[in-house]
Amino acid sequence: MTFNDILKESWLSISGNKIRSFLTVLGIVIGVMAVVIMVAVGETVEKSITDQFSSLGTNTIIVRAGMAQSAGVRSGNRQTLTLDDAEYLGQLPDVAAVSPVQNSAAQAVYGNKNQSTSLIGVYPGYTTVQNIEIEQGTFFNYSAVRNASTYAVIGPELAEELGMPKNPVGQTIRVQNTPLTVIGVTKAKGDSAMGSQDDMIIIPITTLKKRIQGSRFPNAVSMISLKLYQDADNNLVIDQITELLRERHKLKDDAEDDFQIQDMKQVMETMTTVTGYLKLLLVAIAAVSLLVGAIGIMNMMLVSVAERTREIGIRKAIGAREKQIIIQFLSESILISFIGSMAGLVLGVGLSQGVGRFILGYNVPFSLWPVILSVTVAIVVGLASGVVPAFKAAKLNPIDSLRYE
Amino acid sequence: MVVWAADVHQCKDSGMKKTENVICMKKICKSFPLEIGGEQQVLFDINISINTGEFVAIMGPSGSGKSTCMNIIGALDSATSGVYELYGRDITTMNDDELARVRNEYIGFVFQNFNLLPKRSVLDNVMLPLMYRGLVMDDRIRRAREMLKLVGLEKFETYLPTQLSGGMKQRVAIARALAGDPKIILADEPTGALDSKMGNEILKFFNKLNKELGITIVMITHEFDIASYANRIIHIYDGHIAYDGPVPRSESVLTKSEQRVHAK
Repeated sequence: MTFNDILKESWLSISGNKIRSFLTVLGIVIGVMAVVIMVAVGETVEKSITDQFSSLGTNTIIVRAGMAQSAGVRSGNRQTLTLDDAEYLGQLPDVAAVSPVQNSAAQAVYGNKNQSTSLIGVYPGYTTVQNIEIEQGTFFNYSAVRNASTYAVIGPELAEELGMPKNPVGQTIRVQNTPLTVIGVTKAKGDSAMGSQDDMIIIPITTLKKRIQGSRFPNAVSMISLKLYQDADNNLVIDQITELLRERHKLKDDAEDDFQIQDMKQVMETMTTVTGYLKLLLVAIAAVSLLVGAIGIMNMMLVSVAERTREIGIRKAIGAREKQIIIQFLSESILISFIGSMAGLVLGVGLSQGVGRFILGYNVPFSLWPVILSVTVAIVVGLASGVVPAFKAAKLNPIDSLRYE
Repeated sequence: MVVWAADVHQCKDSGMKKTENVICMKKICKSFPLEIGGEQQVLFDINISINTGEFVAIMGPSGSGKSTCMNIIGALDSATSGVYELYGRDITTMNDDELARVRNEYIGFVFQNFNLLPKRSVLDNVMLPLMYRGLVMDDRIRRAREMLKLVGLEKFETYLPTQLSGGMKQRVAIARALAGDPKIILADEPTGALDSKMGNEILKFFNKLNKELGITIVMITHEFDIASYANRIIHIYDGHIAYDGPVPRSESVLTKSEQRVHAK
């Protein structure tokens, strides 16, 4: 028997029972498709998180005001951090840049357009901390912070939504009746899971606290972001920050910290581990449907052996050897599995790329391993599900088989 | 791999004249285990010798052991004891794969129920034994077409067996049996599923194959009328050979032979 003979015999047997073969193939199609789509979902989530962190940088440390959880209750947003703390932290040797950050929401008004957006009060060091690049105009400097100047740097998305001219520098927008002069527009960064990084207004923190919020504690700040030098030891810097802040806040030895330190490197490692497990879970769920598909093939092959007992008897009577019967039945199950896997791969990649990229707008990564997986599945599932029926067929006694009705 | 004797073997123990010998069975016994324990013997010391060019009918009533005898002749089953030589080669001790090769190269089966593959074309059915022999496709097609021409079905090669009459199906089966150029045609009740007219046609065709092409034919039947198309009858009764000789003038000769088995 040549390879062509094997292929022809298998194809004729499979196509001889179209509906049953189609349903069996469908089981594998769904299984492989599910695995491919789940892998794509997992990789998309992973990529989006990695992208986000790489845009922020992993050498970033965030210090938040307020204690960590105490008896299950977080002690609120106590304004324990101050602008002075930020300036002291900025003097630590490994800190490349520092900026206090005050987040707020606001309605931006330009002409007759009105848009809700996020308002962020910062220091000029914020551009370094957040890897922000300026497309048009400039970013405000420390003198603007000292004077609480009404300068604003806006995201390109906001500029577009407010219907501002192509170069919005020099235009005035109003935020809670405070006119702000646009002095710069940031470079587009794209969406992130934390919201758009292009739809925001960045202003000096003093302007936000004094002019817009009219805060009673203009010196208090809820968060300080620090950017470290590339070769800095994050843990060492965290120890230094803790020591410095405890000293400045005059905390007793037994008192808890009145701030929290978040190391983005650790956060990213945790997120990567979590997404890794998520991916594994998704693939495991999809693999169950693949297993069901494989059981479908074995079931079909066993029924096929029973139905074709007489045919097996005829083949053996006219000279088919056991090996040839085994090859015939194994190649049938492998062919079914192969057709199903390839169709599942094409549908899975097509759906995940099509729906993800063109409908949902995600940048779905295309990786090679669903292809390798499909080919492996085709062979392994085909062999595993075909081996029992094939040996059963080969061991049939030709005399009994010929008498089989 | 089975190596076959190149020279024509002689069945020395059969007491027959020196002729080209195809089948030589010596003291063949066959027993089947019973579900309740023990075993039942169905063939007792069978000695059969068949030479090339013979047309032999193995006759016997139901349960006489003729089908078991045919299965052993056809290398579908092995004897419990005794020696079976096919074309000079002892096949009694062969394994399943060697027996499969023997069936493919030396025996052409014709069954009562035709046993064609229903979803394969007539040509595919005839080519099947040649595929297992490993012939290239062109040779298979050429040989199968020759055989279909021989049985008068060259115009039906693309048909499915289900589209043919019983007589035509049996002719396809004969073409398949002949395709492998076997040493013997082993026909098990070849007319059993046919009406008498078609049955006679098939038997005449066997006669023609035997006389004109010199093909050795062994036919199993339980009917004397059908057996009388052959030129030798081996009558099996209760697992013994009751009669082995030329076709007698009447069936009563065979009935008498059964009584001799009884007497033993």
